[in-house]
Amino acid sequence: MSREALQESLSAVMDNEADQLELRRVLNAIDDTETRATWSRYQVARAAMHKELLLPNLDIASAVSAALEEEAAPAKAKAGPWRSLGRLAVAASVTVAVLAGVRLYNQDEISGAELAVQQPVQQGLSMPQTQGPAVLAGYTESSEPTTGPMANGVLQNQAGWDQRLPGYLRQHAQESALKGTETALPYARAASLENR
Amino acid sequence: MRALPLLPLLLSSCMTVPALAANSSPQATDWLNKLAQAEQGQSYQGSFVYERNGSFSSHDIWHRVQGGKVHERLLQLDGVAQEVVRVDGKVQCVSRSLVSGVGAPPDSAPRVLDPLKLMSWYDLKIAGEARVADRNAVIVTLTPRDQHRYAFELHLDKQTGLPLRSLMLNAKGQLLERFQMTRLDTQDLPTDADLKASAACKPVQRSPVGAADAVVGWRSDWLPPGFELVGSSIRRDPERKSAVSSLMYDDGLARFSVFLEPVKDNAGTDTRAQLGPTVAVSRHFTTPKGKVMVTVVGEIPLGTAERVALSMRAQDVQARQ
Repeated sequence: MSREALQESLSAVMDNEADQLELRRVLNAIDDTETRATWSRYQVARAAMHKELLLPNLDIASAVSAALEEEAAPAKAKAGPWRSLGRLAVAASVTVAVLAGVRLYNQDEISGAELAVQQPVQQGLSMPQTQGPAVLAGYTESSEPTTGPMANGVLQNQAGWDQRLPGYLRQHAQESALKGTETALPYARAASLENR
Repeated sequence: MRALPLLPLLLSSCMTVPALAANSSPQATDWLNKLAQAEQGQSYQGSFVYERNGSFSSHDIWHRVQGGKVHERLLQLDGVAQEVVRVDGKVQCVSRSLVSGVGAPPDSAPRVLDPLKLMSWYDLKIAGEARVADRNAVIVTLTPRDQHRYAFELHLDKQTGLPLRSLMLNAKGQLLERFQMTRLDTQDLPTDADLKASAACKPVQRSPVGAADAVVGWRSDWLPPGFELVGSSIRRDPERKSAVSSLMYDDGLARFSVFLEPVKDNAGTDTRAQLGPTVAVSRHFTTPKGKVMVTVVGEIPLGTAERVALSMRAQDVQARQ
């Protein structure tokens, strides 16, 4: 089978336009690492076109087949009630593999270099964003998070902000010192604000 | 007999505590108890350094517990001489009268570190031993159980339980601030001369803060779990002639304040800033009474602070609806 024919079939499967023959061809070839690599490249390209966020290296398929291979042997050896138990184990490990893949997907950070697409900003409200020594950014609803130090402990001049913030910070530090137990720490924080 | 209705509450709290404690070690709890006692009952003097991103400073500290009174003096040794003198937690004087109106903290008893409370929001563990300021220390880690607070690593003096080193880390494990003793003397009691404020230390002006001036008209729709209101005040700013309401929240270790101040319509944009461990987020809201700037300042992650700022609601508006 020629490389081109396989790639065409892959493309067709991906676009949900494959016929029975093409699907069979792809399924036969999917164990091949090169084919899988091509498949994942296609996925990247497709996602790039559709501006979707994705993880190119996520290969759930291989994790699933690895789990299947490991579990298949004992399931075959034993008959009777053990067989169903074996199946259950297979199902469980497939679930684990998929979950592991999803976990990987969620944890991994995709840098802009990996995908030449503008990523949708995924910064939810609950995500901490301490990226630089001091991050200061005019807040707008949809802007990308500002990376890197824009102001190293020095606050930019912004109307209304500059005059109030030192007072707020100091009041917070002083009241913290009173309420808290670690008496020296809030003082030190307050003092370090004055050293600008 | 009056305590009888409280009995079920007491029993249930006894039963829930072991479940929460599953992830925390009893030794760590013991050490935190020791720390809480040391803060209230141990005299000491020494030096420490404080470091956060973009700032490094060294300080001297004198702390004397005598006759039930806690005297404390802190002095910055480099740069501008920052000085604070406190008696029983109340600020007596501050060098460089910093900003108008600040420094009249409401009189209330300092909160005591409560490991049982902390256990609900942090996993307390012993992480080994260390040597700081030529003293043996035990390392206690406080790992947050959610993303709304930072992790702490405390190195406590084995002999007294005093903190020798305190590190604050964010979710990525980056160090946000470091407090570290370089010299600690628990033998010699600080003298009166040690504790005497210098001439540069100006007595704190008690700006009119009415105890009855409770902050009303604002409530929070959402708070990170475990944070409770521990204080509120209204401060009149003589320069801007505006009343600044402040609310302070505490989870037993981390704290943040919410400031509410009426502003003119053209005043500033929504802003956020991170200064080492302290984050500041401000947002402008339009209420029937005019524009209000809500600012959250505290040692919590930026995302959490932003969510708190967004969750503040003017109560009178709510009542009308």
